[in-house]
Amino acid sequence: MKDLQVKYGLPAEVKFCVRCVMSNQRPASTAEFKHNKDSKKITLNIDSEGVCDACRHAEEKQLIDWKKREDELLRLLDKHRKNDGSYDCLVPGSGGKDSAYQSHVLKYKYGMHPLTVTWPPILYTDYGLKNFRNWIDVGGFDNLSFNRNGKVMKLLTKLSIENLMHPFQTFILGQKNLAPKLALKFNIPLIFYGENEAEYGNPLADNTSSLRDKSYFAMNNLDEIYLGGVSIRELREKFSVDLVDLMSFLPPPIEEIEKSNIEVHYLGYYLKWTPQEVYYYAVENTGFKARPFRTQGTYSKYNSIDDKIDDLHYYTTFIKFGIGRATYDASQEIRNAHLTREEGVALVQKFDGEFPDRYFDEVMEHIELKPERFHELCDQFRSPHLWEKSNGEWKLRHNVGKTGTAD
Amino acid sequence: MYHRIIAKLDIKGPNLVKGIHLEGLRVLGKPETFARYYYEQGADELMYMDVVASLYNRNSIHELISRTAKEVFIPLTVGGGLRSIDDIRSVLRAGADKVSLNTAAIKDPQLIRQAARYFGSSTIVATIEAIKQPNGQYFAFIDNGREETGIEVAEWAQRVTELGAGEIVLTSVDREGTGEGFDIELTKKISDLVGIPVIACGGAGKPVHVRDVLQNGHADAVAIASMFHYDFVHRQNDQGHHESEGNNEFLKNKRRSGKIDATGLSELKAYLKSEKIPCRTTE
Amino acid sequence: MKSYKIAIVDYEMCNLFSVSHACEFAGVQAIITRDPKTIMQSDGVILPGVGAFGDAMKNLKKHGLIQVVKDVVQSGKPFMGICLGLQLLFSGSEEFGDHEGLGIIPGIVKKFPESANGKRVKVPQIGWNRIKKQKDHAVLSDVPDGAFMYFVHSFYVEPEERESVLTSTEYEGLDYCSSIQKNNTIAFQFHPEKSAGIGLGIYTSWKNIIEKNNEGKQ
Repeated sequence: MKDLQVKYGLPAEVKFCVRCVMSNQRPASTAEFKHNKDSKKITLNIDSEGVCDACRHAEEKQLIDWKKREDELLRLLDKHRKNDGSYDCLVPGSGGKDSAYQSHVLKYKYGMHPLTVTWPPILYTDYGLKNFRNWIDVGGFDNLSFNRNGKVMKLLTKLSIENLMHPFQTFILGQKNLAPKLALKFNIPLIFYGENEAEYGNPLADNTSSLRDKSYFAMNNLDEIYLGGVSIRELREKFSVDLVDLMSFLPPPIEEIEKSNIEVHYLGYYLKWTPQEVYYYAVENTGFKARPFRTQGTYSKYNSIDDKIDDLHYYTTFIKFGIGRATYDASQEIRNAHLTREEGVALVQKFDGEFPDRYFDEVMEHIELKPERFHELCDQFRSPHLWEKSNGEWKLRHNVGKTGTAD
Repeated sequence: MYHRIIAKLDIKGPNLVKGIHLEGLRVLGKPETFARYYYEQGADELMYMDVVASLYNRNSIHELISRTAKEVFIPLTVGGGLRSIDDIRSVLRAGADKVSLNTAAIKDPQLIRQAARYFGSSTIVATIEAIKQPNGQYFAFIDNGREETGIEVAEWAQRVTELGAGEIVLTSVDREGTGEGFDIELTKKISDLVGIPVIACGGAGKPVHVRDVLQNGHADAVAIASMFHYDFVHRQNDQGHHESEGNNEFLKNKRRSGKIDATGLSELKAYLKSEKIPCRTTE
Repeated sequence: MKSYKIAIVDYEMCNLFSVSHACEFAGVQAIITRDPKTIMQSDGVILPGVGAFGDAMKNLKKHGLIQVVKDVVQSGKPFMGICLGLQLLFSGSEEFGDHEGLGIIPGIVKKFPESANGKRVKVPQIGWNRIKKQKDHAVLSDVPDGAFMYFVHSFYVEPEERESVLTSTEYEGLDYCSSIQKNNTIAFQFHPEKSAGIGLGIYTSWKNIIEKNNEGKQ
């Protein structure tokens, strides 16, 4: 076989985990600041037995003494709980099932006083907005939503697509950095994220030192920071964006971080995270509702349903890495033993890469990108080692069902 | 007319499962254990729905049907993933008394006509999964409440009646699993519209909900899952260790379920009798 | 103890397995067959049936069973018809056009009216309903008067001879014949095999009838 061009530093040979349906093309999370056109990906490791790291972690998870973990959590909470009318922890989220669960158990089971903070979706779905409202009104929480400059958000989203085929890139940045900034403003020492499979085994997401590092890097190297694949300097010079409108995407000032002792924890480290049970909990306690139709690209109705751009985001991972939303969802469910691999393969074959046309036109109109241009861009971002055009149709060379053009 | 109280068992692989809005399928135990119990408690019928069959294009609960048919002597309706006359025949041969059709019927309405002609109208149950749209209209969904069809529910209900379906299971996906009560408006609309029996499904959380849908929703029968299942789960001591497949978390921890007032079959029938609603009681 | 062999007539109109399970439950050895010889040699015959009258007659004809069923009834062998197996015994049906029946029991098969007393009648009748005994018979010895049985049907029978009516049932104001008995021929509109414990009692009683019938022969 002739050597095919490989983009993004992905592994040239496509392999699938023998337990879940994920491939070795899945990138690990990268430092989004530095993400530009030439970035190389670190990808998911599949070991000599054909099992991916995520499945190995899931295996270890079976051995966890959850009672002990909860005791650890109780000690942590006891250390930080305040009863003086101020907030003692911060929960970032959108009112989806996960943030609803996180905030609700912290407040109503463990007696904490969370402030919830929201970096709103680029384009709320009706269902997402309703769930957000119910989170606050039915669940009962204080919430701060930071509505950043929408015009700049649109521009950055468009640039992220054009340069990186990653419509969520700047959104993720803003979301990640909002929590520590507000924690500093309100003098809240504890931030809780939900579950993070990739960083499993570690209770801490960002500790003070890693926040400090990021902040140091960001503030002292503005010219090396990329948003939507474009450097800050270029954004200011070429796109006439004022620096103040970019600050919400960047980490908090270093001096403030240095004075603080912010800890960012994963609640999923302390409490066993079962997405379906989290769903039940949210339905029963915060009025959460699944969307009344299947999400395009996958089989579920309750996962990441608040942003109209969500579906497009997973479509782009399918273009770039051959990994669509059904692959992500099914892999996670297989690891939780909620699906068998056989079922997972069937779901991937059926739904992965389905074009998300429900909100597509609206999204394109919003970010002022021509739909045809988007499709052209897609083709540019397909890595030749993954894709082959046959009879005018793009097909994966390899897929988990072994029905690819080169399988 | 005596109203039927039907126990509905959603099945995924080897397990009895339950979701909310047909989503988030939680494992509750072994279907045959529940079936036997409901039979002993005086259920008027049983319904097995392979809830993921059409998602995977499979139908694989024949063994379960056979085992059940040997020990349960009340009607058993089986649905999920039935796509052809042959599929229907094989399920009936396994011991089902009726079959329910949704996805395949929407894709090919003539299947209802052929099946009714071949197996008799009363063997063919049309399942309609209804979701209320923001403008107040109801649309029929397929694939366990996942795929839109753009078909209006009332129109479809009339159509399946004309095609020869013997009865309709009308599921409100909006209410399904919530315990917030049946969709009375929807049930009344459809039950008054068609000349065949309508089984209301989705939303039962309290005995009074059942009374309401029979009296005000004009339902001929009701299909109930959560209320019965959670009652039985709490009566037995199943720790969920027997199966590695599926979401067993609920069984391991057994939280009480929010809005569902767990009620047994015989309790429910005693209540309905006290409310002067005619239903079969075992004297 | 002798085990009795029951022939369940298989003419591709389903409902066979629940009937054979009920036989099994009552301790009767049953065989699903369409072989005329096996049927004639059995100690008792069950004609089940779900589906359309016309198709059922067509299938009986196709498998050469029309004369066999007539002969069984004629011979005085215990015979049990269920649901469609009751209706087929009559002279004809309106279902899906007029069809000629077996004509063993004089009378006709009619469809439920679509409305009664200005109220819409749901057809088919599907569900549990009470049976009222019109006469005593051993097959109902364990069934109390007014017991609930499971019904599924759009058509009902109107026998000419009142004395053959075994039970009657009321559906939406209409009193109709829900089972018949004439000599050794018994047939039910309802499904005893789907009517839980009480229904299974009918199978047990029928077994006793066969047993007596055999003793009489010896």
